[in-house]
Amino acid sequence: MTSVTRRLFLAGTALGLVGLPAVSLAAPTPKRGGTLRISVDQAASVIHPLRTRVNPEYLVAELLYSGLTALAPDMSPEPDLAESWTTDATSSEWIFKLRKGLTFHDGSPCGAADVVATFRAILDPKVASPARTNVGPIKEVTAVDDLTVKFTLASPYADLPVALAYPCARIAPAKILETDLDGLARTAVGTGPFKLVSYEPDRKIVVERNPTYWDPTRPAVDRVEVLVYPDHTAEASALISGDTDLMMSTTASEYLRLTKASGVKALRIPSGQFLNVNMACDQKPFDDIRVRRALALTVDREAMVGFVAGGYGTPGNDAPMSPAYRYYAAAPLLKPNIAEAKKLLAEAGYPNGLDVTLVASDTPGTRAQLAVAIREMAKPAGFRITVQTMPHATYLDQVWKKGSFYVGFYNMQATADAIFALLFTSNAAWNETRWNNKAFDEVVFAARAETDDARRRPLYAEAQKMMREGIPAVIPVFFDLLAAQRAWVEGYVLHPRASVFRLDRVWLGDGAPKRG
Amino acid sequence: MTDLVGRLLRTPQGAIGCTLILLLAVACVAGPWIAPKDPEAIDFLGRFRPIGAENWLGADQLGRDVFSRLLVGARSTVPMALAATLLGTVVGAVVGTTSAHLGGRLDEAIMRTIDAVMAVPGLLLALLLVGTLGNGSGNAVIAIAVAFAPGMARVTRSVALAVRNQEYVKAAVARGEGGAWIVFREMLPNVMAPVVIEATIRVAFAVMLFATLSFLGLGAQPPSPEWGLMVAEARQYVHQAPWVLIAPSLAIALTAIAFNLVGDGLRDALNPRHER
Amino acid sequence: MSFGWLLGRSASIVYTILVVSILVFGITQVLPADAAVTLLGENATPEALAAVRTRLGLDDPYWLQYLHWIGRVVVGDFGTSMRTGQPVGPEMFAALGRSLILAVSAILLMLVVAVPLGMAAALNQGRFADTATSLVSFVGIAFPEFVTATLLALVFADTLQWLPATGWVAPGESAGGFLSHLALPALTASVVLVAHVVRMVRSETLDVLHSDYIRAARLKGVPEGRVLVGHALRNALLPVVTIVALDVGYLLGGIIVIEEIFAIPGIGRQLMVAITARDLPSIQAGALIMAATYALTNTLADMAYTVLDKRIRYD
Repeated sequence: MTSVTRRLFLAGTALGLVGLPAVSLAAPTPKRGGTLRISVDQAASVIHPLRTRVNPEYLVAELLYSGLTALAPDMSPEPDLAESWTTDATSSEWIFKLRKGLTFHDGSPCGAADVVATFRAILDPKVASPARTNVGPIKEVTAVDDLTVKFTLASPYADLPVALAYPCARIAPAKILETDLDGLARTAVGTGPFKLVSYEPDRKIVVERNPTYWDPTRPAVDRVEVLVYPDHTAEASALISGDTDLMMSTTASEYLRLTKASGVKALRIPSGQFLNVNMACDQKPFDDIRVRRALALTVDREAMVGFVAGGYGTPGNDAPMSPAYRYYAAAPLLKPNIAEAKKLLAEAGYPNGLDVTLVASDTPGTRAQLAVAIREMAKPAGFRITVQTMPHATYLDQVWKKGSFYVGFYNMQATADAIFALLFTSNAAWNETRWNNKAFDEVVFAARAETDDARRRPLYAEAQKMMREGIPAVIPVFFDLLAAQRAWVEGYVLHPRASVFRLDRVWLGDGAPKRG
Repeated sequence: MTDLVGRLLRTPQGAIGCTLILLLAVACVAGPWIAPKDPEAIDFLGRFRPIGAENWLGADQLGRDVFSRLLVGARSTVPMALAATLLGTVVGAVVGTTSAHLGGRLDEAIMRTIDAVMAVPGLLLALLLVGTLGNGSGNAVIAIAVAFAPGMARVTRSVALAVRNQEYVKAAVARGEGGAWIVFREMLPNVMAPVVIEATIRVAFAVMLFATLSFLGLGAQPPSPEWGLMVAEARQYVHQAPWVLIAPSLAIALTAIAFNLVGDGLRDALNPRHER
Repeated sequence: MSFGWLLGRSASIVYTILVVSILVFGITQVLPADAAVTLLGENATPEALAAVRTRLGLDDPYWLQYLHWIGRVVVGDFGTSMRTGQPVGPEMFAALGRSLILAVSAILLMLVVAVPLGMAAALNQGRFADTATSLVSFVGIAFPEFVTATLLALVFADTLQWLPATGWVAPGESAGGFLSHLALPALTASVVLVAHVVRMVRSETLDVLHSDYIRAARLKGVPEGRVLVGHALRNALLPVVTIVALDVGYLLGGIIVIEEIFAIPGIGRQLMVAITARDLPSIQAGALIMAATYALTNTLADMAYTVLDKRIRYD
């Protein structure tokens, strides 16, 4: 059985590159029962289904709640609470059909009214759900009947079923959302595969099987214990000693150790998670494309993968999409060219170089590493970069979206549109570079309405080319996601999105320890 | 004063301590010039290079020379600790002397409040203050100074209480001098000697506290080569390159030892009856 | 230990807590980037910020917020965490319990090591054992906790792999796991204590050995072993009680770093997390509980001292 899974895992790794589904391979029958003990590297301090912000919180919310749709490892939408959906010719009106007989953990039925209430809450700015700007251009949500929900969009959007799988767009009961929305910070009333047993945000979260889950074949395990290890070394040690079965993420230096441990399988998958250097395209000196291009030409991208990702990553070419994206368009890697960079700087009016301050927040630590490496790489071309680090809260408050030169860090998004519309179009939710390129906007907008793959692919290839040439941000490196599991854990597939886990499909195979 | 220095150098602790401090001073003043390599230069192939001829104390995760970073980093570590101690001592000495001069209920009230403030562990107080002021070396210095001031006030007050009863202070009071004049011109100069010894020993604590704050991410900020920060950054690579962690750790300890030794030596030099 | 003395000490504890509460509250009120911003992160729309500020009561005047807070604290309600939405009090007291286990283990470890070492040094005054002991204690004082901790972890956890590097196992879960996880942090915390106390024990023992009654006892022909244990040890231990009380203050500070490095969910770590997250109720509760613990242990140590030494009277 182990060999089958290993093959599955390898297949997943390789196929992830071209975006083919890994789970479509025939999987062996899961064994039921047992307690799965997993570890995360950060407290899950928010379990509110609409307000989760970081991966461990997404994980817990995913155990307890369901979305309308779910995201398969190949980034395609799968039915979850909705069993099917249809759209009109322009993909600006969508009908979602819910499963029959859905119930929340408290026994009350889950229907169209709950879905409508959930999305109204998400779209309410006072609720401050991160999903608000990520679920698509929704204008109105209405219940057609008890099992049918209609989404009317402000503009055509072919990716809606994917967008609705956003990790903090999870369906909660209408009666709670309308009366005690904040109460969901402490209790969990969802339709997910597990029910909340105990919740200590900084230490341990325990869930148990939901007997009324809509799919009677899932979950495979009876209980999941989520342990919080704020220290990566301790987390890896716990896995190596067999205290835990599965760790959701790890660092490059720990990964090296985990590959050598016996009984442990180190997991790795290329992802679209990236670090970038944002340049404000509406302010001196980065309003001049020659300056941005000069900086891009100083960066040794292959070396950068070594410096900031410990070698576990893919070099980037300033477009925000890595080969892990379905619509990735390959292009030859930009090679450093200091002479050309110098010439461009001189043409832009900086023959003696220029002084700039690059801001990096302190989490994750790789931001500062990237900043220092860029500083040294750009030095010979005449960039005199001062690196300034600051606490993440201060950065969010004062620099993020406002500063003219800083290091950003973003997860892989589910679709090409999601990453473009999050950061780089003129109306992007976080338009931090103010690139405001009308031609680029039009290409992205045309692609988002397009349901035909053959016509969509060249549009996204064009958008990536425009970013490689316009360089609103230097995107030198994409990280591989790194994790590890005991050999006895079966059915776990590392998801390139980093915020999707699908633990209801995981089971404990031969050799797993019995736990109370 | 020269007499004191001579006696200090004749004690073994004093001699070793002064030598170490001299070396530190050289690193602080001339660090960037005597460093064998550019402390900021990154080297892709030299990442985690072990100790050897190329890098005397090895290289870190970006291939930077650890020895050069230590030398240059002395500047961002030691002067900060000195500044914090100086600031804390001055504030403490003024408060302590004033309290002793005022006497009576006011003195009692000030001292009770100082005792209460001292119930907050120094590091915690510093943490809270840095949290308030914002992370950074300058703010860490202020926080350490504030954390030190109550202790220094207590020490100064006990000395000043004795000074208060001296004839020249009484004379100044009789002349009708103002409170500030008495505190600053008559009392403070005469409590300085014991306060200076106490302060020297405290520099060692200040070095450790400052490095600790930087280690916790609240003091010096990356990419500064401050020693505490270097330890913090090296921790995650400990399996691959322990030398990146050990070198700055020992530098901090040696600095603390140096100031402890000098403080001890000073105490011995001032109190010749050091039987124990 | 008269009633008046107890009353005075209680009043001073109350005053201490009052001063600390004002201090902590004042400091936390001017924290930059308020909790609402930190809480909402990248999703801080102006509407959401306003809603959260109202919900958290951040719009009231400071003095009113303080009175609300201290009024609730008096009845044992420390409020709810802004970060997790859970009540702060139970979480902090549970964390304090874990910290105290660590502190007490460190003190026990220290006593076991430092007292014999200090006495041995005194008995061999000026000889190698004495010099070695003072050297060790000197070096021990000069290592900040984070250096001791990282070096110990490097040797015992990473290189030798004898002990787990970090983490906490409750004594109820597994006794062996509890002890092995406790070993390195307790050792780290005890290093500075040992360095302190060795010097103290050494000089006190020397004093006692040169005192008249020891000489008298020896002249009377009391066996040397009994002289040492019955007389010298008892008298030399007396000042150790005071220094242990003082060291509890040091420990409560040093424990912040130790817990951070060894990932122990004690009060120090809770405080660090709270400070990073600008979680005001947790910062306030944590700092207040720490200061109160310190004030209480000091009083207890004073009482122990009076019991041990009948000559001292507090009137």
